[in-house]
Amino acid sequence: MRKRPLLALLIVFLMGWPLLAGELKLEVIEHQLANGLKILMLPRPGVPRVVCHIYYKVGSVNEHPGITGIAHVHEHMMFKGTKIMGVTDFEADHALNQKIDELMGKIYREKYWKKKGDMAKVAEWEKEVEKLLKEEKKYIIKDHLWETYMKHGGTGLNASTSYEVTGYYVTLPSNKIELQMLLEADRMANAYFREFYSEKDVVMEERRLSENRPGYLFNEQVQATFFVGSPYHWNVIGWMDDLKKMTKEDLIEFHNKYYVPNNAVAVYVGDFDPREVIQLAEKYFGPIPRGKDIEPVRTPVQAQNCEKRIIGEGPAPSSIAIWFHIPPDGDPETYPLSVLASILTGDTGRLYKSLIQEKDVASMVSAFCRPQWYAGSFVVNARPKTEKGIKPDDLESHLWAELEKVKKEGVTPEELQKAKNRYEASFIMSLQSPMALASRLGRAELNRGWRSLITDLEAIKKVTGDDIKAVASKYFVRSNSLVAIYRRSFGR
Amino acid sequence: MRKRTIFIVGLCLILISMAAGQVKRPEELIFPPLKFEPPDPRQFRLNLAQGMRAYLQEDHSLPLVNLQAIIHFGDLYVAKEKTGLGSLMSQTLIKGGTKTRDGSQIEDRLDFLGASLNFSVGERISTLSLSILSKDLEEGLDLFFDVLMNPEFREDSLKVAKGRLIEQLKTANDAPSAVLAREFERLLYGDHPLTYQPTRATVEAISREDLKAYHQKYFFPRNIILVAAGDFNKRTFVDRVNKYISGWKNQNLVFPTISRNFPEVEPGVYFIQKKINQGYVSIGHLGIEDTNPDYFAVQVMNFILGGGSFTSRITSKVRSDEGLAYNTGSRFTYRWGFPGTFSGYVQTKSSTVGYAISLILKEFDRIRQELVSEAEMETAINYYLESFSEFFTNPITTMRNFALLELQGKPMDYYKTYRDKIRRVTREKVLEVARKYIKPEKMVMVIVGDWEPCNQGDPKFPGPLSRLGKVHQITLRDPLTGEPVK
Repeated sequence: MRKRPLLALLIVFLMGWPLLAGELKLEVIEHQLANGLKILMLPRPGVPRVVCHIYYKVGSVNEHPGITGIAHVHEHMMFKGTKIMGVTDFEADHALNQKIDELMGKIYREKYWKKKGDMAKVAEWEKEVEKLLKEEKKYIIKDHLWETYMKHGGTGLNASTSYEVTGYYVTLPSNKIELQMLLEADRMANAYFREFYSEKDVVMEERRLSENRPGYLFNEQVQATFFVGSPYHWNVIGWMDDLKKMTKEDLIEFHNKYYVPNNAVAVYVGDFDPREVIQLAEKYFGPIPRGKDIEPVRTPVQAQNCEKRIIGEGPAPSSIAIWFHIPPDGDPETYPLSVLASILTGDTGRLYKSLIQEKDVASMVSAFCRPQWYAGSFVVNARPKTEKGIKPDDLESHLWAELEKVKKEGVTPEELQKAKNRYEASFIMSLQSPMALASRLGRAELNRGWRSLITDLEAIKKVTGDDIKAVASKYFVRSNSLVAIYRRSFGR
Repeated sequence: MRKRTIFIVGLCLILISMAAGQVKRPEELIFPPLKFEPPDPRQFRLNLAQGMRAYLQEDHSLPLVNLQAIIHFGDLYVAKEKTGLGSLMSQTLIKGGTKTRDGSQIEDRLDFLGASLNFSVGERISTLSLSILSKDLEEGLDLFFDVLMNPEFREDSLKVAKGRLIEQLKTANDAPSAVLAREFERLLYGDHPLTYQPTRATVEAISREDLKAYHQKYFFPRNIILVAAGDFNKRTFVDRVNKYISGWKNQNLVFPTISRNFPEVEPGVYFIQKKINQGYVSIGHLGIEDTNPDYFAVQVMNFILGGGSFTSRITSKVRSDEGLAYNTGSRFTYRWGFPGTFSGYVQTKSSTVGYAISLILKEFDRIRQELVSEAEMETAINYYLESFSEFFTNPITTMRNFALLELQGKPMDYYKTYRDKIRRVTREKVLEVARKYIKPEKMVMVIVGDWEPCNQGDPKFPGPLSRLGKVHQITLRDPLTGEPVK
C-alpha cells in the first residue's frame, strides 16, 4: 500500500499541449495517475467557476440482451450514496438491504422465472419488503450527494448515459474543486446501491415518457432493424422487460467492471490552478486501485447485404428516412461523408433547395452523418407537404435522386469550401461553452484521444470533391440501405 | 531540463498531498475564501446614434463575435386575426431578403463564412442574433443591419413559411407535453393575447404588407437595444454601427393596451383524453410577476417545495421515495408585465396519476402549514449565494441580461443587490409567501392522459378522480380551424 505514492511519483506527467485551430492556442494540460485515471485541464481565468466532469468509457454498447438499459440505470444509482454518503448508519442500513435483496430475489424468481408463479407468496414477500423499506428510511439521507453539491453552489448538476460514454457533471465555485474530487472518488470506489427497486420504477417512467413522444416507438424499431446484431440495436434506455427483470447483482457486476480509474477521464475547465487540481486528484483518486483491462466491444455491426424497408404508422407527422451503414468514428471515409451531410442539410443545403424551394414537396428535410465508435450511419430524411396531398412514399425517389446526383456529378468547389468553413467555425464556436468543451474533450479522450478533435479538423480541411463522389458511390446503394416510411394514422 | 522540473513539481505535489491526510467526509472540508463582485452594467452601457442603446463587452479569448439586436416587439402586439405573424416574421425576416439582396444570397454568404444569423419573435421581445468569426465581422455587420433595417419579406419566402407553419400546426396536438402546456395556460389566462393560437385562416390572412407594416412600426433605433460581446474593438465597432443607423428614423409608437383581466377559473380536474400510458399533469393557478417585492422569498420557497430538483420536497417524495415519476416538481413561471403561473407537475403511469397528485397537494399544504427546516433553508440560501457567479460566465448572456433589465424597467442594481435580498429571506417569510401565493382553493388540475386507467387509480389512491374535485372534460381543438375536434 505504501508503495503506491512512489510509483505515482515516477510517472507524474504534466505537459501543455497547444490546441491549434486556425489562430487558436488553448493549453490543455494532461496528467495521468498511476492507476490509469486521466486528468485533462483547461484553465480559463475569469469568473471564478470550474466545470468539473468525469467520464467513464461505458454505455449501452457494453450491455447485452437481458440487461439492456443497465448503463443508464447504473448512472441513476450512482446518486444513491456510498458508505459515507446518503446514510446515517451504514452497517444497519446494509443489514436491511441484504434482507430486502434476498426477498426481492425470491419475488423475481417467482414472477419472472416461472410461467405460473405463486402470486400469494409474492404478495406476502412484497409486504415484508415494504416493511423493511419503511424501516430503512430512518437511515437514509435523501439525495445527499445532490444536496451537498447544491448547497455549495453546484450548477449544471447532472449525469448522462450515451451509447459509449457515461458522464457526471457539476460546475462549482473555484474554491470548491476539492468537494467534487472527494465525492466523485468516493462514488467511483464505494458506490452503494440503496433504493434500487424504486429507482428502477423511475427509469421505467422515463422510458414511458419516451414512448409517449410521437414517433418514438417507430424510431426505436428503425434503429433495431438497422443495427441488427450489434449493441446499437437497442436504445440507451433499454427494453422495458429488461428494466423490470434486471437485478442488483447485475448492477454490482457492471459497476465493478467498468467503474475503475483506468476506464475514466476527469476534465476541468475554468478558473483554477492546475497544480492544485493535480494535487487533489492524486490525493482523492490516487488511492483507488486500478481495475482489470476491459475488452473492446466484440461485434460492431454485421454486413447487411440486402435492402431493408420498414413501415409504420402512428400519431406523429408522416416522414421518410433513408439510412446507410458507414464506417465508425475515425475512419478516413467518415470525413468526406461528414462534409457531404453538411452540403445536403440546412436551409442553404441541397435538400432544402430542391425538395422545399424548387419542387415544393416537403416541409422539412435534413441529413446527418453519425459515425459512432463502433459503427456509423448516414441518414437523409424528409416530411412531405401534406397540404398538397404528398405522401412520404412520394419523397423516396426525390431523396434517391439527390444522392445519385452526388454520385454522378459530385459537389461544387463552393459547396465544399462552405462545408469546411462551417465545420471550422462551428468548432471554434463550440469552444465558447466550458461545459460543451469539457464534454468534447472527455468523450474524445476515451475513444481516440482528445487530440483527435484537432486532427479531425485537419482531415476535414483535406477532403476533395473526388473523395465525396467515391464515398457516395460506395455507400449509397440499395443493399446498404434501410428505408423507413412512417404514416400518420390518427390525431393531427 | 524539462523532465527534471516535472519531477520536482510532482514530488512537491505528492508530499503536500501525503502531509494533508485524507479527508473522509464533505462536511470536514474547509474551503479557501472566494470573493466575487458582479460586473456593473454601467461599464458596458453606451448610447449609439438615433437613441439606440447598447451593452458591449470586448472579450478576446476567442476569434469570435456574438451580436444581438433586442427589439421590443412580440406576438402580444399582433392583432388577433393575424395570429401567427410572429412565426412568419421569424421565418422570413432573413429568408425574405432585403431591398438589395435576396434571402438565399444572405444565407448562402453567411453559411459560407460559417456564421449563423437567426431571428425569433417572442412574447414581447424579438431577437436578431449573429455569431461570426471576428475576421468576417465587417461583412457580418453589413448583412446584420441590412436584414434588421430593410427586410422585404418576398412572396416566395412567405409562401414557403406559410406552408411550413401549416404543416407544423397539424402537429399541435401530437405531443402530450405540448398539449398540457398550452391548455393549462388557456385555462388560466382565458381567451387572451397571451394564449392566441394561429389557425389556417389567420395564417393565410397574413400578407407581405402586414409583415412590412409591423416591421415599420416596431423596428426603429429607440425601440432596440444592441448587445455584443467578443473579439472587437469597442470604438471601431460603435463607429461602424452608427454609420448604419444614423439615417434610421424613429417612430412614434404607442404600444397596444393589453387587458390584465383574467377569468375566474372553477377549481377542479380538467381532463384531456389521449391514448397514452401516462398522465401528464399540471396543478396550479396564476402566479406573480418577477418585479413583486416577494420575488426572492418566493424563489427560496419554491426551491424547497419543488424547484430545487432532488433537494426539493416534491421530487424527494414523488420520485425518490415512491418511484412514481421521472419528472416532477413545482415551478413559478414569469412573464414581463403579466403574472406568470404557479404549478406542481408530474408525469406518471396512468394508474398512479391520482396518487401522485394527492402527494403533490399534500406538499402544497405542508409548506403552507409549518416553517421549513433550518437545514432546508440553509441549502436553498447557499445554493443561490454560491451559484451567483454563474450568471456571468458567458459575456453575451451577461450583456443581454443587462439589456433586459433596462428594457423591462427593472432596477439596474438588480445583480448588485441580489445576494443581499436572498440573505434576507427568513423561514417566517417563506411561510408567509407560501400562504400568500399558493392557493389551494383556486387549484386547477389539468391532466392529459387515458381516462379509464387514470380514473381507476391504484390501491394507494383508488379512483375516481372526482375525489380530487369536480371533473371537467376538455375537448381539444382542431389546430387548423380552432374548432373543437369532433
